[in-house]
Amino acid sequence: MKGVAHITKTLIFLGVNFLFFHDLRSQDSTGVLKIELPKHYFNTVFVLDVYRKPETKIKDTIDYQSKRLKTYGVKQFDLSFYTPLFTTETHPDSSTISNTHILLTGNYSVLRPVFEGIEQHKLAKIGIGIRYIYNTGKKGVLFVDAAPFVTRDATYRSRGYFRLASTIVYSHNATAWLNWRLGVTKSFLWGNRFYWPFIGLRFGRLDKVNFSIQFPRSINLNMPVNSKLVFSIYTKPQGGMYNFSNHDSLDSRKTESTFNFTRYEINTGLRCDVRTGPKFNFYIALGVSSRNNITFYSEKANKARPRAPYRTYFYSQDLASTLYLNFGLVFKFGKTRSYYNNKNLYDAMNLNSTISGDGNAQIPLTPQRKSDINLESVRDLVDYNDF
Amino acid sequence: MVLVAGYPLVSFSQAEKDKVELLRVSFINKKLDLTNAESEKFWPVYNEYNDKIKAIRKNLRQSYRRSPEQLSEAEAEELYLLDIKSKQAEVDVHKQYGDKIKGIIGVKKSVRLKVAEEEFKREIINSIREKSD
Repeated sequence: MKGVAHITKTLIFLGVNFLFFHDLRSQDSTGVLKIELPKHYFNTVFVLDVYRKPETKIKDTIDYQSKRLKTYGVKQFDLSFYTPLFTTETHPDSSTISNTHILLTGNYSVLRPVFEGIEQHKLAKIGIGIRYIYNTGKKGVLFVDAAPFVTRDATYRSRGYFRLASTIVYSHNATAWLNWRLGVTKSFLWGNRFYWPFIGLRFGRLDKVNFSIQFPRSINLNMPVNSKLVFSIYTKPQGGMYNFSNHDSLDSRKTESTFNFTRYEINTGLRCDVRTGPKFNFYIALGVSSRNNITFYSEKANKARPRAPYRTYFYSQDLASTLYLNFGLVFKFGKTRSYYNNKNLYDAMNLNSTISGDGNAQIPLTPQRKSDINLESVRDLVDYNDF
Repeated sequence: MVLVAGYPLVSFSQAEKDKVELLRVSFINKKLDLTNAESEKFWPVYNEYNDKIKAIRKNLRQSYRRSPEQLSEAEAEELYLLDIKSKQAEVDVHKQYGDKIKGIIGVKKSVRLKVAEEEFKREIINSIREKSD
């Protein structure tokens, strides 16, 4: 509960700051005409994500827990957002524009692991965080993300656990076609709190066909078909760490009211992003979920045992591969400054997507032909004198 | 579901504007044949320039929404001055950013940029004319 209070305080602090900065930045104008330009480069983005993995039988017949659980499947719903709080620009020299972006991020997710032998648990995660992005205006982008969250078993009365996921990455655009990234990340995607080096390499422009390896998060081959359709072949880990109520006595120590449930799987599949308009897109992904693993352990009990690592499992099980289905809706709000062909900002947006999973929704893809253009749409480009 | 169904319709006009912008950017990119180093610096500055020009024009266009018959003498005078100020602001922005752009891509490509902008406008106007014929 301490964690929830902490997040509430953070939220209030950020809210006050947002209002303050919002007011400050709205004074910006182009001089005597007092014209306002959009303040930010990032849209406010909401992502609704649904993930399903059908039940598979737990083949093990030795462990007590396996016999109790019987099957394992996943139903997951996730609502996340990010919104720019503050954007500032500097001109280190006459031809360079560098900018700093601070974004507020949030996430609410519900995981329902499907264990046929016990009652269904609803494992909730709620978090709010801060993202800092600095575009040097030359070749580099610095990305810092801190995402604290609270996880609890919402089905039964249980205590919430406070956790922190974080990432710091420097991204370097050698050219528009070649990018490398280096950093560190503390992520729960591999089932527990792991500290990994973040190593990334991308070949190809972000608005064209590109191949990207972003360890430990994903490997992607992205293929835009036109300005509205992008296909991706990818492989990535999917998982997390949750607080699980001991209501079903899966932990034989009756003194433990909750324990940790971790899961991860490696998903390899095909994703299709459809951009219906500048404010909305959706995606659907289908593939094979392999290397499925679940574990149970009690951090509290492990702490009491001398020399036992904190994640000494009292149950760990590898499960057969299954299919998975992932579907998401992405809503974008607000006007932004122009960033066409600005490879550093494209890179900043891609870094943001790598963490948020919105599928590079903001990076524009050039349309192939100019059909169905009406006069209203070109008023900004064409003057009255041109007719 | 109401939100999902209704949302894209609201942004239809913006979608068209974005499409034209992207076509223009692609057209200019092709015509200028920028090196990596030039492109890296040119686009952030050119985007900022364009944002300012667009904002000035939009501001003026919005001021002309009322019919001249509905305007008082003072309001008409204000609008007349705004028109002049807007034209002046465009010149100022053009001068300020023109110098920056010239510093990045050189004077020859700056001229090619102007030509490319005009060519694109012409192409757009022609395509509108063809459509309306």
